[in-house]
Amino acid sequence: MTGSRSEPPRLPRNPFTTRMTAPGRLPPLDAAGSPVDLGRVLDALQPGVSMIEGPHGHGKTTLLRAVCAEADSRHRPFDFLAIRSISSALTTVTRVLFAGQHAVVAVDGWEELPAGFPILIRILARWKSVVVVATAHAPAGVPVVARCVATPAILAAIVGRLPDHHGLISQHDLDEVFVRHAGNLREALYDLYDRFERRAAAGVAHPRPIA
Amino acid sequence: MTSLSESHHGPPRVFVTFSNTDRRYEPLDSLVARYEVDGLGDEMPRAVEHSVLWYTEGKGEEDLGVLFFERVTDTERLPPAVPGESFGCTLPASPLSYEGVIVKIRWCVRVRFFFSGGRDFVSEHEFTVGTVPPARMPHAVPL
Repeated sequence: MTGSRSEPPRLPRNPFTTRMTAPGRLPPLDAAGSPVDLGRVLDALQPGVSMIEGPHGHGKTTLLRAVCAEADSRHRPFDFLAIRSISSALTTVTRVLFAGQHAVVAVDGWEELPAGFPILIRILARWKSVVVVATAHAPAGVPVVARCVATPAILAAIVGRLPDHHGLISQHDLDEVFVRHAGNLREALYDLYDRFERRAAAGVAHPRPIA
Repeated sequence: MTSLSESHHGPPRVFVTFSNTDRRYEPLDSLVARYEVDGLGDEMPRAVEHSVLWYTEGKGEEDLGVLFFERVTDTERLPPAVPGESFGCTLPASPLSYEGVIVKIRWCVRVRFFFSGGRDFVSEHEFTVGTVPPARMPHAVPL
């Protein structure tokens, strides 16, 4: 989505808020910072369980949500389920059991499923020929459809897609937060949020704008 | 914020006029917002939603509260029959607008158009409730 906004005058708006950066607000990006070919990812999904793998804050949920949006744009039914409790695990089983043809069931947090549920969902998905795509931090014994990586180019591309930071964030900041948080983009963006708040409050424009 | 899913022409423009021209309100005040839209092109909306809401913004989970909502589907109240509409409500005692460091509370009126092709277009226009001063960082120095 694109857009504009009207608002009363105040301090510069922090572009690193969850509202701007949460999974689903930005497109998934590849290692070079270019948008991922979602059609290719969707086409690669086979009946059964496939995995989107990667460490914390590397864009797994962003990619999973984007795959759902791609399925939706092709008029394929989809379900997005975030595993937070036994209730959401049971819901996942139900959705796989009753999923229609060509449906995509997206499971965010495969490792949060209670014991026994992963194998049950795998069996059901194979039996019903349902596409299940899930996120996990480590290999889970199922085909991996995408491995999420984080690079400085991705962080720079994300910042470039956010609203203007009014020169309060520099290339040096990006390099520093990327290293400090070991490539965890979520934490890096939180760090940039804090830096922006401090500088906006102090009324300081950073002397080194992003190259 | 104004947002639009894929379009073959430029995004529509929504102009909102508030009953308080400085967009500052106190708790329990009456708010009236009048909007006009142009740039819709050939595709006319099949419905429009009006809402008055607050939301949180910051580093954490977002929260949201809708104070007023109406969905208009009567073609006599939709473009091109009318260029815009008015809507409003009485504001509550809380939450007040707040410009915090970790979290901020924003109030806005939102106008959302739904087009026959499935596209939608959202336009948000902010105002403030109350006069809570912005939070100050104890040592607001650049890193």
